[in-house]
Amino acid sequence: MGLRWYHFALWAAFIAFMALLPELVSKGTLRTIIFANFLAVFAISWDVLSGRTGYISFGHPFLIGIGAYTSAILTKRYGFEIEVAIPIAVLMTMLGGLIVLLPALRIKGSYFALVTLAFMELMYQLVQVIRPDLTGGTRGMSGIPTLTRGALNGYYLSVTLMLCVAISMWLLMKTRVGTALSAIGMNEESVRGSGLSVTKLKMFAFLTAAAVAGLGGAFYVHYLGSVAPRALFDINFLFTIIVAALIGGSSTIIGPVIGAFFLTFLLEGLRPYLPGAERYFIYGGIALLLYMYQPKGLIEIFTQGWTRLRSRWTT
Amino acid sequence: MAFLQITDLCAYYGKAQALHEVSLNVEQGEIIAIVGANGAGKSTLLDSVIGLTKTTGDITLEGTSIVAMNSSQIVRRGVGYATERFNLFPYMSVRDNLMVGAYTARDDVQKNLDMVHKLFPRLQEREHQETSTQSGGERQMVSLGRALMTSPRLLLVDEPTIGLAPKVCLEIADVLRRLRDEFGTTIVITEQNANFAMTLAERLYVLENGSIKAEGTVDELRDDPRLSEAYFGL
Repeated sequence: MGLRWYHFALWAAFIAFMALLPELVSKGTLRTIIFANFLAVFAISWDVLSGRTGYISFGHPFLIGIGAYTSAILTKRYGFEIEVAIPIAVLMTMLGGLIVLLPALRIKGSYFALVTLAFMELMYQLVQVIRPDLTGGTRGMSGIPTLTRGALNGYYLSVTLMLCVAISMWLLMKTRVGTALSAIGMNEESVRGSGLSVTKLKMFAFLTAAAVAGLGGAFYVHYLGSVAPRALFDINFLFTIIVAALIGGSSTIIGPVIGAFFLTFLLEGLRPYLPGAERYFIYGGIALLLYMYQPKGLIEIFTQGWTRLRSRWTT
Repeated sequence: MAFLQITDLCAYYGKAQALHEVSLNVEQGEIIAIVGANGAGKSTLLDSVIGLTKTTGDITLEGTSIVAMNSSQIVRRGVGYATERFNLFPYMSVRDNLMVGAYTARDDVQKNLDMVHKLFPRLQEREHQETSTQSGGERQMVSLGRALMTSPRLLLVDEPTIGLAPKVCLEIADVLRRLRDEFGTTIVITEQNANFAMTLAERLYVLENGSIKAEGTVDELRDDPRLSEAYFGL
């Protein structure tokens, strides 16, 4: 699909809205939005890999973890500047992406998903056992240098990151490479039959997804100022990323953003009534119903609503 | 020297052998048909030419062996593959399906797109429609159009008429003839419909259980019992 003027107009309106949002909401809400922004980055990253190519990754926290831990260790233990540590963290995560790619060259479907899950578990164990003096072991690390202080600065940091990632990935997916990646998810053999190198395309998808995950992980750790293995390599965190991408609308860029905001606010909205893990039961039920009602996600519900509204105006 | 020469080709899916020493040749500008029942090995033969299966034997294109090349290299040498229409990208628009085909095109993509639109005006009218919502005939046009986006000199077409109405079959045949006559494209089709194959192709190969059972011109094979035995309804 080509680029249209109204696509850019919609992005401009979205940027303007996000820029003005701090004037309209409380600091508490801003903090919630910060988490939604980071979740959106992770969900976009997952979607580039899994939503497009159909290789469902259950190991995304593995990639996020490499970015987060690399940057945390470099800055806290070795005194690197954050500006230097983050690009190194991204490169390290891309190396991790290559490791995830290896099984994808041989297996697909549920087997691939399970292998990636093993990567996440492996990373969880490694950071606890290997050099706990560096990683902080089971307790993780705190006192990591932060990029900003306060809700407002944190908001602008996270929203800038989210918008940069979303727009660059959106532009990338509008190219022939993006179209080819989506084609892999629908019919890999036909892509090969059309003379495309599926291996190169998969490598591109895995490296891109890893770069975004590493970038998100590194910024996240320098926003929080701490990292804990139990939170990062948690199955709930993994499924929140996946559900955000699916519920918002997989294979779109704005879908995972919408999904991330929807899920974050849903979980925060339920917190006063259900402070424990029961929240995930409710959120799982809502996600299931939404997904059954519209498998293409919230973005499709909005698109259909907009189409209906427009046809009413024109008649 | 034949344009496409296949010599003693064997193809395998794991340990299972799908083709047994298949040999055939295609001259430049010719339309030939491989006819046979389901499971005869027709699609495997085309998959082998485009480099999608594990094979032994030899395949040469204009005298150069392509048997060890991967599909990207083979497509770049001027081979296009129109798969069965069921093998499209269903949730993509017609245009995006065509653009996947154009991925390896070295020449002007717009020129190829214009050619496809000229051959199939309906694809231009419905370029933003998802292929999953299209009729069988339209999907077959998309499949052919996708293969033509690299302006191939050799076009492989897998079962172009499967499940299509006779009128649509005639449209497809007309386009394939135009491709040969106007652009000099050499065409190899696989078919279960022997009547269609005979109206379109100059020569036929009968494939049965992965082996060539008969070959010849349409006139030579029209009354050949081996062809009618193979169920074709003649």
